[in-house]
Amino acid sequence: MTVDGPVVGVVGTGIAGLQSANAVLERNPDARIVIFGDETHRTYNRPGLTKKRYQLLTSGTTITDELKVDGAASDSATWRLGTRVESADLYNKVLQLRTGETFDYDSLVIATGVRPRISAEDARECAIHMHKTLRDLDDAHHIHRDLRTGTELTIVGSGFVACELASLATEYGCAVAMLEARRRGPFERVLGERIATALGRWMTRNGVTFLTGDSARDRLCNGDSSAHSEPSSDRSLLVEAIGSVPNVEWLHGNGLDLSDGVRVDEHMRVPECADVYAAGDVARYPDPWTAESLTRREFWKNAIDTGDLAGRSLASSLGCGSKISHIRYFPLMSTEVFGLRIQIAGNPKAATSMEVVRGDLDRLDHGVVVTFSKEDLLVGVAYLDKGARLNSIYIDLVKTLKAHRR
Amino acid sequence: MKIVVDQVKCQNHGLCAISAPANFALDTDGKLQYHESFNEENIDDIEDAVDSCPLQAITLSRDAA
Repeated sequence: MTVDGPVVGVVGTGIAGLQSANAVLERNPDARIVIFGDETHRTYNRPGLTKKRYQLLTSGTTITDELKVDGAASDSATWRLGTRVESADLYNKVLQLRTGETFDYDSLVIATGVRPRISAEDARECAIHMHKTLRDLDDAHHIHRDLRTGTELTIVGSGFVACELASLATEYGCAVAMLEARRRGPFERVLGERIATALGRWMTRNGVTFLTGDSARDRLCNGDSSAHSEPSSDRSLLVEAIGSVPNVEWLHGNGLDLSDGVRVDEHMRVPECADVYAAGDVARYPDPWTAESLTRREFWKNAIDTGDLAGRSLASSLGCGSKISHIRYFPLMSTEVFGLRIQIAGNPKAATSMEVVRGDLDRLDHGVVVTFSKEDLLVGVAYLDKGARLNSIYIDLVKTLKAHRR
Repeated sequence: MKIVVDQVKCQNHGLCAISAPANFALDTDGKLQYHESFNEENIDDIEDAVDSCPLQAITLSRDAA
């Protein structure tokens, strides 16, 4: 077989993988790109899994259709769906596939993302609950289908996935309990205790049984009941949404820094290996925001930006495209929980102080703007509102934030 | 080229209004308002808005406006 252009392997079919493939092809149309993924679906809009209720799920296909992503339908790359990459020999540039095949590449993009963390590997089934996690489209199919039947839902955790799911389930008419054993309320790690507590009250006001601390721990399911009785068919749904774990196991043995995802430089290059790049949720890169620290982010826009940069850097290493640029991702995220829109810009986690500059945390639905500072420098802004009454204040603060960034 | 927003997908998250304030804004009810046509000098901002949308509701159409 004659090989016209360089062979580029992309491991991961998420938006970071797709974006990197497209960025390479745009600059080097001769590149032969092969995209590997565990899932049987091409790239879809992952945030959309929890952000809205899907009306017609009888065939199980509508949700897939609704979540199509531009560019994913193109056949300029070869898609190896449902094909897990078991391991990689990054020095000899060979991937080992679960099918037993090997794949030789010239350049590689690691975009394997993350998987949901679970409290215990063996607590997957019990007599009382259907235990699930929500990460991919197949999970979403199951969960949306169950929610449509008005099942009781228990959610463990109170992060983005947990809160959006609670809101969605209520729309479907389900009774929802949320268990947050370690924190006071939603998004505490990002926004701090005061806002988290206020958000916990917001969940309660909207009919969620929101339990924290010991009362949450008492209701956590450890799966023990499976030892005593057969699972019944009408078990209620329990979804664990307690964070995620980077998918890096397949890279072991190559001497990489895999302490929290794959460490890369500001061009998304894996420093230990020439011609290897990483992007998306799995990539830990120098934070353009906080000097001399590394960051790993699990947001859609981050996956797009780092995927694009990895692809451009890769193309540049092949002699295509112009100068390579540095990561410039500006953190900006948005979610909606029971009609309350929560927008966060910058890096509130880095703050040493917060100030409510407009509104009242006891009346979130009347609009609240909060600033986060570190040594008098604005590092983050949060805006919570039903509607957009304070949107102009928020946008002005975001502009200030962007300007502070070098 | 013109901006097309899929109003069924749009959930008024407003990230586009931050990326490209010249073309997108939220009104006082929190609903998205936008201009279909745009100035070529804003193309970078608009592409950023297209990427930012968590619902992927914004596209650029090459059909003449």
